[in-house]
Amino acid sequence: MKKKLVLPKTSWKAFQRYRELIQVLVNRNLSVRYRGSVLGIYWSLLSPLIMTGVYTAIFGAAFASYYDDSLVNYVLAAFTGLVVINFFSASTSQALMSVVGNGALLNKMQLPMSIFPVSIITANVFQFCAGPLALLMVMAGITSRSPVNVVAVILPFVALVLICMGVGFLVSGLFVFFRDLPYFYELITFALWISSPVFYPSEIVPDNVKPFLAFNPLTRIIESLRQIVLSGDFPDLGLVAAAWLSGIILLSVGWFCFRWWKPQFMDLL
Amino acid sequence: MEAIRLDQVCLWRRTQEEFSYDLKRTVLSFLEGKYKQPSKKQVIENLNLTITTGDKLGIIGSNGSGKSTLLKLICGVLEPTTGTVRVWGRVAPLIELGAGFDSELSVIDNIILYGVLLGYSKPYMQSRVQDILDFAELGDYGLAPQKSLSSGMTARLGFAIATDVHPDILILDEVLSVGDERFKNKCKQRLEAFWQANATVLVVSHDLEFIRDSCHQAIWLDRGRIRYSGSAAATVQAYLAAVHGGADMGLSTPGQ
Repeated sequence: MKKKLVLPKTSWKAFQRYRELIQVLVNRNLSVRYRGSVLGIYWSLLSPLIMTGVYTAIFGAAFASYYDDSLVNYVLAAFTGLVVINFFSASTSQALMSVVGNGALLNKMQLPMSIFPVSIITANVFQFCAGPLALLMVMAGITSRSPVNVVAVILPFVALVLICMGVGFLVSGLFVFFRDLPYFYELITFALWISSPVFYPSEIVPDNVKPFLAFNPLTRIIESLRQIVLSGDFPDLGLVAAAWLSGIILLSVGWFCFRWWKPQFMDLL
Repeated sequence: MEAIRLDQVCLWRRTQEEFSYDLKRTVLSFLEGKYKQPSKKQVIENLNLTITTGDKLGIIGSNGSGKSTLLKLICGVLEPTTGTVRVWGRVAPLIELGAGFDSELSVIDNIILYGVLLGYSKPYMQSRVQDILDFAELGDYGLAPQKSLSSGMTARLGFAIATDVHPDILILDEVLSVGDERFKNKCKQRLEAFWQANATVLVVSHDLEFIRDSCHQAIWLDRGRIRYSGSAAATVQAYLAAVHGGADMGLSTPGQ
């Protein structure tokens, strides 16, 4: 089967077009999301802060002993975990809808389908950079007094973005075939959320359950982020590498499946 | 010079009734061993078509005969199952206007979004915004959100964008019912300009008079096949004869 010549032929031009498409879609995403909202982009910061407050009020006293008897340490650990989980569940559940939600558009003009999940994740990245990431960098600077840690905060975050991209490809593609997916996906995000040591110390998990938690790719991100932001030590590159590895694997799987399913999308949109 | 060329194009699509759309049921049917591959139906059958640059081609046929599917193949929205579709030049689809608009965005942002989706660069679209607003007569609405426009205004805007950018190939799918009478005339004038210029135009319409008067060539599609192809007048006549004669609309009657 021969390709059509509707779109620019050279790959540089194709790349330029892809970049421009992402740009306008991200722009649409962000400006729609914050139209009329006074809090604007800082909502993404406010919601984990409020949740941290709630967790600290309820679990703080009980779990403080695992955090050197310091409530502040518990607050910081809960916050770093929450921003990761929040980013993951918000960006992937928005990505889930993205291909089907733009079905009418895809029926009218030829567009690379991957722009929809990619632009959703990208919009969330911008949002994250303006709020939580900046705060994490400040925290890392205070605890470590080293610019290396401040910059290194980006490393686990990049791994998180790779994971979200991969999962975003997977769920947005699956949703084309299975329209009841959101119910199941809600369950999955809840399981991931409860199995990541966000508001509890990982020590309390029974030993025979612990191996299962290793399957949760977010655990490695949270561990690496906490090590960089909270410990004050030099960034542990082993943890970063583990986080990156799961990110690269998930992105490859997601991208591969999306490419594989893509030819069937148009019959179902 | 050729603008569009379809060689032995066949298209199979999943039939609507087979849509399961349901994870629970699919998993259950797998477990019960009742799962079967979704069945497919041939919607375009061995279609050959060549359109030369500057041609104005009308496409007629009853509902479900594959007219819109053919346009989707030419736009690149659908890939043929077998055969090749080749298109030289930039295609602007003008199908059910306004699908690309986001109701929360401002009109100007929507113009840029729509233009970029159609394949134009952002700086180029920014330079065209004023002309598009002027043509759509929405000069005062530039910064207003899209949702504050009426459906007629939205359709006007869609028409203005798709025809402002100068496509090599314009695709019209039942769109001449845009806006009020006065604006309709404006649209017709602009389309006239396309007609005069060297643009290739494909029109799907049930308005047979319009096809006969405005197109050079026409094809009559019937169940995914070309049943008749020739001058617009002859095709319309053949189609009308078949409809009024109550002739079998099936594929057995030789058209040509």
